[in-house]
Amino acid sequence: MIDYYDWPGGREAMLRFGPAHGPVVLVALPFWEEANRMRGVAVAMLRRLAERGIGGALPDWPGTGESLVPTEQASIMQWRDAHQAAAEALGDRRSYAVSIRGGTLIDTFALPAGRWHLAPMTGEAVLRDVIRLRAAAGLRGDEHGVFGAESPVRIAGNRVSPHFLAGLAGLLPFDQDGTPRRVVRLGHDRAAADRLIDAVPPWRRAEPQDDPTLAALLADDIAEWIASCEG
Amino acid sequence: MRGVLADVLGLSAERVAAFEADTPLFGALPELDSMAVAGVLTELEDRLDILIEDDEVDGEMLETFGQLVAFADAKARA
Repeated sequence: MIDYYDWPGGREAMLRFGPAHGPVVLVALPFWEEANRMRGVAVAMLRRLAERGIGGALPDWPGTGESLVPTEQASIMQWRDAHQAAAEALGDRRSYAVSIRGGTLIDTFALPAGRWHLAPMTGEAVLRDVIRLRAAAGLRGDEHGVFGAESPVRIAGNRVSPHFLAGLAGLLPFDQDGTPRRVVRLGHDRAAADRLIDAVPPWRRAEPQDDPTLAALLADDIAEWIASCEG
Repeated sequence: MRGVLADVLGLSAERVAAFEADTPLFGALPELDSMAVAGVLTELEDRLDILIEDDEVDGEMLETFGQLVAFADAKARA
């Protein structure tokens, strides 16, 4: 069902899945175009979790999806505030942050019972991808060009504020002492992980594509991890 | 290389198996937009353990399948 949550700057849509009680996962999708490519797999994953009795929430951030905030006015701090507000909207249920790629840089202010990170990346890595994308688009965007821009930067159809990009510098996926964290990676990614799944990363596909096998693998991994955390 | 193109571009195994050195890529494959180019390069880096500088990215290396293979081969040997 479509639910809402209120953050200090307004109200955003939040898809809800599964039972109204018990543990619930709050999903933070990757940034921009990668979110579009990941959304289908994330929804299939949340449906499977729902079948296993675990609730799910998939919020829009300010400036994404159905949001009334212009994309180019979004900032990292705003998304972090929104993530925290979405977590608070889940009430007193035990919530787990399920964050993907750049989403791991957003999941910082909330106090989840645990963090499950799929292919976490640093802010520098997000910026490298942006620069590469602009090089591929023939825009010749060197670092100076991206940071020096005064108008929004076009990233695969999204107008992104230069302040958003500048805010990425130095950011690391959040790992809080005392809060369980599990890292899962896909394909040929060789960075440190608790588990490596042999699958094509959905965010790297040229077109959004369903991948029910991957969705099921991820949901089962999350469900077993939550069971061990609740144990 | 065929595996990367099949995975990133969502092309069928038969289609990429038929690629030859002079098969045109950039401009000829509608699937290969700028986002896909970036995806192919990043996936190549991961699989071949190479680092591709963004100033090496030009239309020429992506013109044909053979040129892309030659570029990746040269990087992997360097």
